[in-house]
Amino acid sequence: MGVAIATPDLESAPRRPGRLRTNLLPYALIGPSVVVIGGILAFPLGMLVWLSLQHYGLRELIAHQGEWVGAGNYQAILVDPLFRQVIVRSLLFTLACVGLTLLFSTLIALLLLKVRQAVRVILMSALVFVWATPVIVTVDIWQWMFDYEFGVINYLLTQLHVGNFIHHNWFDNPVQGLSVLVLVVVWGAIPFVTITVFAGLLQVPADVMDAAHVDGAGAWQRFWFVTAPILKPIFLIVTCLSTIWDFGVFIQIYVMLNARPSSDYFTIAIYSYRESFGVTQYGLGAAIAVIMVLILVIVTFFYVRETVRVAEVAA
Amino acid sequence: MKLRRASLSVLGLAVALVAAACGGTATSNNPANQTGTLTVWLMNGSAPQSVVDGVNADFKAKYPNVTVKVEIQQWGEIGTKLDTAYAGSTPPDVVELGNTLVAKYAAAGALEDISGKKGSFDNSGTWLQSLTDSCTVSGKLYCVPYYAGSRAIIYRKDFFASANVQVPDSLDGLLTVGQKLMAAHSSDPNFSALYFPGKYWYAALPFIWDFGGDIATQSGGKWQGSLSTSSSQQGLTTLTNLVSSLSRADKTGDEAKQDAAFAQGHIAMIIANGWEVGVITDPKAGDPSLKDKLGAFPIPSHTSGQTAPVFLGGSDLGVAAKSQHKDLANEWVGMLTGQKHMTEMATVGGVIPNNTSMLNLGTGINATFYGAAKNSKFVPNSQNWASVENANVLPDMLVKIFTKQQPIPDATKSASDRITTLLNGGG
Repeated sequence: MGVAIATPDLESAPRRPGRLRTNLLPYALIGPSVVVIGGILAFPLGMLVWLSLQHYGLRELIAHQGEWVGAGNYQAILVDPLFRQVIVRSLLFTLACVGLTLLFSTLIALLLLKVRQAVRVILMSALVFVWATPVIVTVDIWQWMFDYEFGVINYLLTQLHVGNFIHHNWFDNPVQGLSVLVLVVVWGAIPFVTITVFAGLLQVPADVMDAAHVDGAGAWQRFWFVTAPILKPIFLIVTCLSTIWDFGVFIQIYVMLNARPSSDYFTIAIYSYRESFGVTQYGLGAAIAVIMVLILVIVTFFYVRETVRVAEVAA
Repeated sequence: MKLRRASLSVLGLAVALVAAACGGTATSNNPANQTGTLTVWLMNGSAPQSVVDGVNADFKAKYPNVTVKVEIQQWGEIGTKLDTAYAGSTPPDVVELGNTLVAKYAAAGALEDISGKKGSFDNSGTWLQSLTDSCTVSGKLYCVPYYAGSRAIIYRKDFFASANVQVPDSLDGLLTVGQKLMAAHSSDPNFSALYFPGKYWYAALPFIWDFGGDIATQSGGKWQGSLSTSSSQQGLTTLTNLVSSLSRADKTGDEAKQDAAFAQGHIAMIIANGWEVGVITDPKAGDPSLKDKLGAFPIPSHTSGQTAPVFLGGSDLGVAAKSQHKDLANEWVGMLTGQKHMTEMATVGGVIPNNTSMLNLGTGINATFYGAAKNSKFVPNSQNWASVENANVLPDMLVKIFTKQQPIPDATKSASDRITTLLNGGG
C-alpha cells in the first residue's frame, strides 16, 4: 500500500480532484464532531423519544422490552392538571431567575467598570469563586442558612428586629420557598453572566461614550441608548443560555428540599424525574422530558440565530 | 503463520473454557473449590459491623475461595438505585429490601422464587407473619424475613419526673401530659413535648389505624384509598391537635434528624424505633449521659388502657433472579438469618428478630418495642405500594395538613384519590 503513492502532477494540476478535495475537506473536518455529537446527543435523544412512545414500567425495564402505546403517554400528560401547573410554575420560575440574573449581573458589571483595579480584582475573584464552587456544596450551605432550627438567616432576621423568625419555616409557603430557590439559582448564575456582560462593556468605544456625555446624556440615557444597543447580542445570548439552564433546574430544588420536594415545588425536570424514577413510569417520564426538550428547542432557535448573526457581523 | 497462531489461541481459549465449565460443574459440590464474588447490599444501620464480619467469617470458613463484598446503601434514593441495579445484567446477588418494596420487585421479576428452599432457613416455621406476608407475592416466596422494627414513644424520665407527670394510657392523656410538659418548659422557645416532623408518615399511621381508618382497602381485586373516610380523618385530627400544641419540629421536615435533635435536650418525647435509643446515646452523634434518663412506652390508643396499632417496618433479604451465584447467595442469606447471627442482631443490633421464638430476647427498654410489634399493621401489600411511597403521597398530605395549606377533608381526599390510582397501577 505504502509504495503505491504517486507524486501529484503539479503542472497539469487537474481541477477535478482539487475541487473534490476542497469540497470534501469541510465534511472531513466536521465529520468527527458530527459523529461525537450524534453519539452523545442524537442517539440518547432518539432513545428518549422511542421510550416516550412505550409503556415502560419496572417489569419492562428488567425485561428490556417495552409495550408500544404510541401517543398514549403524551395524552395522559396533557390531560393531567398537575402537568399544567408544573409548566406554568416552571415558566414563572425561569422568568424570575433569568430576569433577576440579568438585572444583578448588569449592575455588577457596570460597577466593575467604575471601581479601582484592586477592588475589581477582589470582585472578580469572588465571582470566580462562586462559579467554581460545586452546585451541591453551594445548595447544602444555603440549606443550612435557611434551616428551620439552626439557620443563620432566621437568627439574623430576628436579631435585626425584622420580625420573629424563630422557627420560621421558609418552605411552608411554596411562594416563599420558591423565592428562596430563585435566590439560590440567581446567586449561582450571576458570575458567568456578569463576566460575559463585563467583557461586552469593555468593547463599548470610549469616544462614543464621551460624545454622548458631551451631548448632555445622563447615565441612564447613556446606558439605554449607547451601551445597551452595543450589548444587545450579548444580552440575547446570555438570556437564551440562562433560560435553557433555569428551565431545566433540578439540583437546587432537589437538594434544598432533601430529595423529597412536595408537588408544590415540581418544576418540569423534577416532575419528569419523579414520574420516571419515583413511580417507575419511565415512558411517561420520557414523554415529559421530550416536551421539555421541545420547549427548549424554541429558545435554542433564537440562541442559534443570534450566534450566527454575531458570527456573520464578526466575519 | 499468523493464521496458525490465531487458530491455536482460539483452540487454547476453547479448551480453557471447556475446562472451566467442567471444573465448575465437577466441583460445585465441594464448597472449598467454589470461586467467584458475591455482592451483597445491606442498608445503612441494619446489621452492626460485628454481625456482618461474623457472617463473612463463617462464610469464608466454608467457601474459602469466594469473595463476599458487602456494600452499605443509603435509604434516601434506594428505589432509583434498585431499579437501575435490577435493570442491569449483573445486579447485586443479595439485597436487603425494605418490606414495603419487596412486592414491587418480586412482581417485576427481579427476585428469585425461593418457595422450594423455605425449609432450609432457620426458624422459617416461626417467621413473623407480617414479614413473611411482605415476602409473599401470588403465593410464592421471594425473600427471607430479616428483621422487624416497630415504633413506640421514647421519653425523658427526668422531664416527666420534674413536671410531675406519669406515662399516659390514652391519647387524651398524651395531650394532657404534653401540655403540662410544655408549661413546665415554657421558658425554652425550642422545647417540644412531642417532637413530630411533618413528613413522618410512619408515625402518623398509628393514629389513623387507632380510630379504625386505613390507607387503602381492597375488594374484588381493586384498591380503594381510604384516608378520607371519617375514621381516618378523626385520627388525623387528633394527631394534628397533638402536633400543633406539642411539637416545634419542622412541619415540612422528615424524621432523619430527630435522634440528634432529641439528644440536644429540648425534647421530651419522640416516636421512634428501638434502635434509635442507640443513636440518641451515641458518643459521637448523641449524648451518652442520657442513657439512664430514657424510657419507652407504646403509643396509647384513644381507648384508655389500650395501645394503638403501629406500623411494622422491617427488612427482607432477596436474591436477584439474574444472579450468577444463586446458591451461594441463598447460603449467605441463610447464615445471616440463622439462629446464631439472628440472636446477635437482636442482642447487639437491638432490632426485632425475624421469628416469634426469639421475641423473649427483648429486655429493658427494648421489651417495649418488642411488645409494640405484637399489635402491628402493614401498608397495603401491593406491587404498586412502592409507587405510593416514592411519590411521597403521605408525607405531602401530612405537610399540607400540619402547615394548614389545606383542611383535612381536602388533603385526605386528594391523597386518597392519588393512592387509589397508584395502587391500581395508574401513573
